[in-house]
Amino acid sequence: MATEVVVPVLGLTVEKGTILKWLKKEGDRVEKGEPLFEVEADKVTTQVEAPATGILKKILVPEGVEVPILTVVAIITDEGEELPEKYRTSTEAFQAPSVSAGEERRVTEVARAEERKEVRAVPAARRLAKEKGVDLNLVKGTGPDGLILVKDVEQAAAEVETRPRASSVAKRLAEREGISLEAIKGTGPRGRVMKADVVAALKGREETPTAEEPFGKVIPMSTMRKVIAKRMSESAFTAPHIYFFTDVAMDKLLELRKTILEDFEKEFGLRPSVNDFIIKAVALTIRDFPFFNASLVGEEIHIHPEINIGLAVALPDGLIVPAIPKADKLGIGEIAKMRKDLVERARSGKLKIEEIERGTFTVSSLAQYDITFFTAILNPPQSGILTIGKTRTELALQDGVIHTYNVATFGLSVDHRIIDGAMAADFLQTLKRKLENPVLAFLHL
Amino acid sequence: MRELTYAKAINEALRQNMQADDRVILMGEDIGPYGGIFQVTAGLYQEFGPERVIDTPISEAAFVGAAVGAALTGLRPVVEVMFIDFTTVCMDMIVNQMAKIRYMFGGQAKVPVVLRTNIGAGRGAAAQHSQSFHAFFVHIPGLFVVLPSTPYDAKGLMNTAIKSENPVIFVEHKKLYNEKGEVPEEQYFLPFGKAEIKRPGGDVTVVATSAMVLRSLRAAEELSKEGIDVEVVDPRTLNPLDKETILESVRKTGRLVVADEGPFTCGVASDIAAIAASEAIEYLRAPVMKVCSPDTPVPFSPSLEKDYIPDERDVIEVVKKIMEY
Repeated sequence: MATEVVVPVLGLTVEKGTILKWLKKEGDRVEKGEPLFEVEADKVTTQVEAPATGILKKILVPEGVEVPILTVVAIITDEGEELPEKYRTSTEAFQAPSVSAGEERRVTEVARAEERKEVRAVPAARRLAKEKGVDLNLVKGTGPDGLILVKDVEQAAAEVETRPRASSVAKRLAEREGISLEAIKGTGPRGRVMKADVVAALKGREETPTAEEPFGKVIPMSTMRKVIAKRMSESAFTAPHIYFFTDVAMDKLLELRKTILEDFEKEFGLRPSVNDFIIKAVALTIRDFPFFNASLVGEEIHIHPEINIGLAVALPDGLIVPAIPKADKLGIGEIAKMRKDLVERARSGKLKIEEIERGTFTVSSLAQYDITFFTAILNPPQSGILTIGKTRTELALQDGVIHTYNVATFGLSVDHRIIDGAMAADFLQTLKRKLENPVLAFLHL
Repeated sequence: MRELTYAKAINEALRQNMQADDRVILMGEDIGPYGGIFQVTAGLYQEFGPERVIDTPISEAAFVGAAVGAALTGLRPVVEVMFIDFTTVCMDMIVNQMAKIRYMFGGQAKVPVVLRTNIGAGRGAAAQHSQSFHAFFVHIPGLFVVLPSTPYDAKGLMNTAIKSENPVIFVEHKKLYNEKGEVPEEQYFLPFGKAEIKRPGGDVTVVATSAMVLRSLRAAEELSKEGIDVEVVDPRTLNPLDKETILESVRKTGRLVVADEGPFTCGVASDIAAIAASEAIEYLRAPVMKVCSPDTPVPFSPSLEKDYIPDERDVIEVVKKIMEY
């Protein structure tokens, strides 16, 4: 029996996803549960598993095409089974999913997308596209009623040809390092960019920060950039922010970390970071301040049931905030493990949507930079975000004696619609106390 | 080279063939002392006498039938039907006799007859004297159908028609009779089934027949001022049809307009369009368009008739439309 493969619901606010890569070819055998394709939505890449065992009979949506969620993108049939009639004519016109009554709106959207996606091209343009290997789905038609003309395909083909060819390893490396392939001279066959070229270019980048002229050009926003821009302006222009700062003496925390480091590494196989302790302390503080785990929904304040602490991770061309769930209930070891895994996957673009969406409070640290303190814009719909500056050495006068100590300035941004100044001050002070007296703070672990 | 009108070029072809071959005779209404309604046979009666230039009674079925009989018994008659509209009166002679006899007699008899007639509106001759239904004859296997568009082609094709061992429907055009062009004095033969590119171009192919060739050439001249490079292909004979030259041009330009004065539906233009769709679809950059007469009788009212006739303005409009793709 034929099984429809759809783009799954990727999160509450996700409406569309882009097919990044098909991991199987038409005609391949697939096992139920085996990764079938990668879809990108908002900032995250998700692997979608095959919903059934059989033959991947037909791919209806090619790579690079954005479709509404629940769109049927492929058909899996039993071995020897013919592709059902209704999918045969629809390589380009996508199938509407069968949905429940409550989802008519989505169905209309899908239907509209189908109309949009049906490729209309003059025959000569189709022939040229075939010859040049141009995907007509990606070509914008300039003829009457948006018909794709020969010149449109010629232009698309010219663009493809000027785009540098690169080995897949080189592509991945360049993507991870955020370096443009266009700036790299290829030494492979026919100017193909090889891994060695990217490595060389990266070396060169360290010496001369930009190989190409960075000014006087227009850069289209990446999907991630667009999401960041949308969310940040939405937050800045709807939630009135207020900011608080306090100095936290870090010596005891650093001391504690140092004391347990060796045993910790033995037991958990990794080193705890200062951030792991801060995440834990924040989660524990939130237990006493439920409004810091809240969102404004219409005229109601919704206090979330779980304390999930997000950690801002910088990427070459943006940032992303995966969250550690129920951080108040986890040990430092578990937090560290989870943090390491999330940060790694954030950098390789392999996070799941729910790992980003579950955050209820965010921690953002620039401690590795020479930044004393900074403000942050709330990560909507959260009500608070904590910022951490560099830990620096200062002089202090205590009992008439001058001594040095380590200090970091913590900042707190809150949504004033939910939280007032006194409560925010109280929260930050409580957190400060916990971090300055960590043994007591983490006693109940 | 000297210039002749289209009518004079045909006249010269007839004369030279009659001089060279006694079997060539002419039959038709008022073709004798009067010289024919369009003066195509002028002077031939005087030169060859009433035995070889025969004025017939007003009965197309009778004299076309007589021409078929004469051809069967060894003559090479060239018969004139005054207007293509009148061929309907002798359609049985043409379709069931002229076109079929050689086939039905297993090749033992042949009908080397040339039936001259003309198409075209524009002389205020109304609905029964202005039609362009030459496509009828293309529809009948067994008939060659020839549509010369220039004096040069008219003479060369007439020479080939008279030499042909099979019946030829030789379709002239009323509005071309007075058009002048260079015509060699000697006899020369233009092969059937060989189109001519009347004007080379790279942007759009206009396949035009008969008077539409001239109109399309004028349109091409206008369009070249706007940077549109039109190729005009004249098939010259519709049966046999030189598909290869047409397809080669379409493959080159990717755009096809077919201009034929016959009515829009089920005509020569439709069929040439179909050939492009069948055999060159992958080369088409744009829809195939037709420039034809409307599907109505030819109006008598001069202003309506002017509007009815497909001309260079119609070709220009359609070419511009097709160039949007």
